[in-house]
Amino acid sequence: MTEIEEKQGDFEMYFGPAHPGSGNFSVRVQLRGERVMKAVVDPGYLHRGFEKLMEYREPMQNSVLSDRICVLEPLQWNLLHAEAVDTLMGYDIPERAKYIRVILAELSRIQSHFIWYAVMSMGTGFTTGFNVAMGYRDYMLDVFDYITGGRLYPAGYICPGGVRKDLPEKAEKKILTLFEKIDYMHKFAKKENPAWLERFKEVGVLTKEEAIKLGATGPILRASGVASDVRRDDPYEIYDELEFEIPVLDEGDAYSRYLIAMQEIEESKKIVKQAIDRMPKGEVKTPNMKPIVHFRKAKGETYTRNELSRGEGAIYMIATGKKTPYRVKIRGPSFTHMIPILKHLLTDSYYADVPAIYWSLNQCPADVDR
Amino acid sequence: MKLSVISEIFKNLFKRPMTVLFPMEKVEIPERERAKHKFDIDNCISCGSCAKICLNKAIKMVEVKKEYKEKYPKTYPQIDLGKCCFCALCQDICPTGCLILTEDFYLATFDKDSIIIEPLKI
Amino acid sequence: MSVVEKEKNNYKEEKIVTALSKKLNKKVNIQRKKRLWVSIEPKEIVDACSIAYDMGFEHLSTISVTDWIEKNNFEIAYHLWSYKEKMLLTIKARINRENPTISSVTSLWSKNAELCERECHEFYGVIFKGNINLTPLMLEDWDGPPPFRKDFDWRKYVQQEYYNESNPREDNYFEVKK
Repeated sequence: MTEIEEKQGDFEMYFGPAHPGSGNFSVRVQLRGERVMKAVVDPGYLHRGFEKLMEYREPMQNSVLSDRICVLEPLQWNLLHAEAVDTLMGYDIPERAKYIRVILAELSRIQSHFIWYAVMSMGTGFTTGFNVAMGYRDYMLDVFDYITGGRLYPAGYICPGGVRKDLPEKAEKKILTLFEKIDYMHKFAKKENPAWLERFKEVGVLTKEEAIKLGATGPILRASGVASDVRRDDPYEIYDELEFEIPVLDEGDAYSRYLIAMQEIEESKKIVKQAIDRMPKGEVKTPNMKPIVHFRKAKGETYTRNELSRGEGAIYMIATGKKTPYRVKIRGPSFTHMIPILKHLLTDSYYADVPAIYWSLNQCPADVDR
Repeated sequence: MKLSVISEIFKNLFKRPMTVLFPMEKVEIPERERAKHKFDIDNCISCGSCAKICLNKAIKMVEVKKEYKEKYPKTYPQIDLGKCCFCALCQDICPTGCLILTEDFYLATFDKDSIIIEPLKI
Repeated sequence: MSVVEKEKNNYKEEKIVTALSKKLNKKVNIQRKKRLWVSIEPKEIVDACSIAYDMGFEHLSTISVTDWIEKNNFEIAYHLWSYKEKMLLTIKARINRENPTISSVTSLWSKNAELCERECHEFYGVIFKGNINLTPLMLEDWDGPPPFRKDFDWRKYVQQEYYNESNPREDNYFEVKK
């Protein structure tokens, strides 16, 4: 990239970290009039060093830690960590536990996409959308509370070797009534909004080649025309037995990202309904009753990938026969979305488009910093 | 379908609010809620596994006060709620089930000392 | 999945393994389903990555560094995913711990590789030759050793800097582990 010469009248603006809704993340944009000449991204406000913390703790404790990686989708991170340990330990997960894991992960995806809709509407001044989405998300949190015992943080509910407790009575019924409840919100969000068309259409266009080169994953990549989904390409749990579609759009702009999110909610609902129908009865944990993983038996390494609601999440774990993992590398999906892609999209855009681009990327500063 | 503002407003006029008026009304707390600890000292065998598994070191094995030492001679878990992350691993690992997490989530306090749960309540 | 399909999948992996082994002149191993790995010399890294890139491994998932302190080296692993073959290839290179220098792959993955290398540089002190932007990313005002190295004892540092042994609420952080 060529360095831009500074001219008189150029100025710098801070977008975040004290911006409502930007999260713990900051972007410095250099402006010439209304145009963004250069964007400098400044992460690190939420760096907690999970990779190092996990080296000091045992897998069962790490599973509690793992849901703190991203505040907006803790259950999916739980699942990812549990899977990494399962592969290393060679656990054979009971069939019922797999179904419970998938149901919770998909519910978490719907919930996370609601937040996406909420922050997108708040960023463009559509406060009603924010209120509606966050309100209906709360009904979902009530169900999480009912199943896992915590509204936001399941605290290692999806643990290595299965899940910690079986679904409570009537949980299936509760999930289905929940779908009826949130149906209004989903319909509301799907409606064509003239203000959004103005703000998001043809803004922040990411072409297919750029998306692959800059490491886009998940909904961002699918909005740019690449049909790639870890659930389909690299199936884990029971995803290869379920029927669902992968929405793909070719435009690559902010509006198509929003459309992808709306279609994904539909698909996730389908998955949950199928899983509830097919769920067998039986054990939910490997026979080991105590919450202890005998990690000394594990040796080797694994690179486990999962489709989180924001994109591809991965854990690279190495075990050397000690109580604790030797090395844990966490790849958050927002890491590439928020730094190279955001920089690329912001360069040469208008300042008024900055929030639209920023929120259309479904950001989560927590998994950038980790 | 287009989003129509007027019809949404009229629909919402006749809807019940999503929130509740907190002190008067309460949301139902499910059975599995993980909140304040309850410790039953008579069943405790002082194995210390809760202190070992606690990932924040919120549990410390301590001795009870001198007056009660005859009755309870061993060390018992003292829980610091300020460090606790309410993961309920201690509840799961407890062999006798004497340490459980209750549904009592009213934990806000002005007094720093009150966040420590002593093994023996007097 | 039917038996025929399973055989087909295995066949696919082996086909790629033979093609890659031939081009890289190294033995490519199958770790498990859809996971391949190869160990190479550090000076070959750019060539190996570009060969893999041409074979369809276009997506750089991440770059990770592992500190093998007993063997006195860093293992740098490049995790590449292929959208075409739907397979993950891990390219590993070991470099000396005293002089941790390796060529940068920014020529292939531009900003994405630059960012991953920046992170590795910050946390492990690995120098990527050819990467012009190795500025601090997440840590603020940090001038100690790279914090994720194994010889940097995080717990000891925190005990010294932030905790007080005489405070009854913090004294159990100082207990020596058996």
